[in-house]
Amino acid sequence: MRLLYQILWKDHSRTHLLFAFLGTLAGFVLLLAGIQFYIDIKSVLSENRDLLDPEYIVINKKVNIGQTLGLSKVGFTEEEIQEIAQQSFADQVEPFLSNEFPVSGYTENERFPDFHTELFFEAIPDEFIDVKSEEWVWNPEVGKIPVIIPQDYLNLYNFGFAPSQGLPQIPKGVLSMIDFRLRLRGKDGYDDYNGQIVGFSNRIHSILVPLDFLKWANDKYGYFDKSHPSQVIVVSKDPTDPSIIKFLEEKGYDTIREKLKSSRMNIILKLIISFLVVVAAIIIGLAFLVFLLSLQLMISRSSEKIKRLNKLGFHYREISRPYILLLMVLMTAVTGFSLLITSLLAGKFHTMAQDWSLNISSSLHGILFGMAVGLIALISLANVAAILISTKKLCK
Amino acid sequence: MIFRFEQMIPLPMLEQDTSDSKVWEAEGLVLEQGKSYVVEAPSGRGKTSLLSVMYGIRTDYRGEVFLDNNKLKSFSWKDWSELRKNRLSMIFQGLELFDDLSTLENIQLKNRITGHVSTEKIEELAHALDMEPYLHRLAGILSFGQQQRVAIMRALAQPFDFLLADECFSHMDKENTLKAYALIQHECEIRKAGLVLTSLNETDLPGIDVSLKL
Repeated sequence: MRLLYQILWKDHSRTHLLFAFLGTLAGFVLLLAGIQFYIDIKSVLSENRDLLDPEYIVINKKVNIGQTLGLSKVGFTEEEIQEIAQQSFADQVEPFLSNEFPVSGYTENERFPDFHTELFFEAIPDEFIDVKSEEWVWNPEVGKIPVIIPQDYLNLYNFGFAPSQGLPQIPKGVLSMIDFRLRLRGKDGYDDYNGQIVGFSNRIHSILVPLDFLKWANDKYGYFDKSHPSQVIVVSKDPTDPSIIKFLEEKGYDTIREKLKSSRMNIILKLIISFLVVVAAIIIGLAFLVFLLSLQLMISRSSEKIKRLNKLGFHYREISRPYILLLMVLMTAVTGFSLLITSLLAGKFHTMAQDWSLNISSSLHGILFGMAVGLIALISLANVAAILISTKKLCK
Repeated sequence: MIFRFEQMIPLPMLEQDTSDSKVWEAEGLVLEQGKSYVVEAPSGRGKTSLLSVMYGIRTDYRGEVFLDNNKLKSFSWKDWSELRKNRLSMIFQGLELFDDLSTLENIQLKNRITGHVSTEKIEELAHALDMEPYLHRLAGILSFGQQQRVAIMRALAQPFDFLLADECFSHMDKENTLKAYALIQHECEIRKAGLVLTSLNETDLPGIDVSLKL
């Protein structure tokens, strides 16, 4: 059948086919590379998180003017906490417990200036707290209250307040040594306790006391109305989950944005990748059209020959074969080259990522092979159908 | 292989006066394998149309044509393709050669799908028609008379039960015509095939069984 191929291939347009080939190749490389890197970066993001603790996200409601005027509640209701707990990203949800009595702190030490302040306490179960200390226990017999304050408070004092007021800076260790008194006021009087700062939290921006202490103290002194907790802590094993940010925004909840960086990164990544995929799809679509048109042009240029071959007894399927073979050769080349180029890119990216100590696979993900072959098969099928239809039209 | 025509007439022929025709709208006209027919008529009377109907190229006709009692109109792509490869051969008035293939390649192109004859056999055919020197020349640069002989050779280089020859001697001199006709007759005899020959005026060809006036 060499002669048949010789006759029909003569009428091809090399430039058309070349551009169709290059276009399809470009589209495929873009698509495959986009998906390859998406999978890589996604795994890097979640990998880094897995190595660390799961993310602890403290959520509060956004403060609005209604709350300032006392018209709307700032706390989370039982249902709202339930709703958060039901979200896919939330593995554990715990509301903060607040003090239900007035509390103030003061110092009674000659070595330190006198100091007096109204305070508040909050408590959550120990497993949510990033400070581990042997002194973090409440014993009513001893009557010493351990306190954890945010690292930021100390920083604010040491690097903001103290230098501007001519006060000495206080190292962490010294602060822990300061004894101060805590006055818990009940309805019928007050008691003073010793307090001690036992740690500084980077995770929780609140003045923490042990949960069992606060429960005990609320029982003993509490007389405020039971209020809804104003903050909840959520443990998320997958802080890259883009639905976290979406949920918070929908509900009008607030959190420290920094914590959700990877969730936002994931969203941005998805946006970029979907943009890439759309562009790739458009390129592939256009290239597919050029392919289709080039082959159709070839067929219509050969229409006289095809009619002649048909008269000689060639079935239109036999006549289609040279076109289909040409298509297959080009499509196989597109598949091969696009996988090759993508894997070269992946290798390059791998070495680059190593410089940033990111672990990115240097070989192609299996799914890419499947995708490339599947897409090629789809495009080829459509083209084969078009070839058969147009050769059949020319035959009698 | 038997063709039977029942009141068949190509649609374009309806405009003409065909009352004295032995073929158009004839009742039960039969063309049998093993016999040779000459269809005579001046131009424009539908000689090519008749052969085209028999070869499946034309389907715009009224009435019916049966091939071995099967309606031609019921034949599929595959049926026609098989018929043209194994049972029907045609020498086209327009020759239908590929100009950019050589004489030999033109014949082989068809022969490849039928696998009927060897290169030696093709050379034999060429020898019989004095075409041996032209086997490796491009068909496009041959004279029309030579091209006609290439078309004849191609038609003979395949199996057939019926050979349809459409004015295939029109550009040959008497001597070449007789040589070609003798070769056609010979090949038809070997295959016990039928022959339908159209011509403007080839009444003097020997061995014609039936002469049909269109």
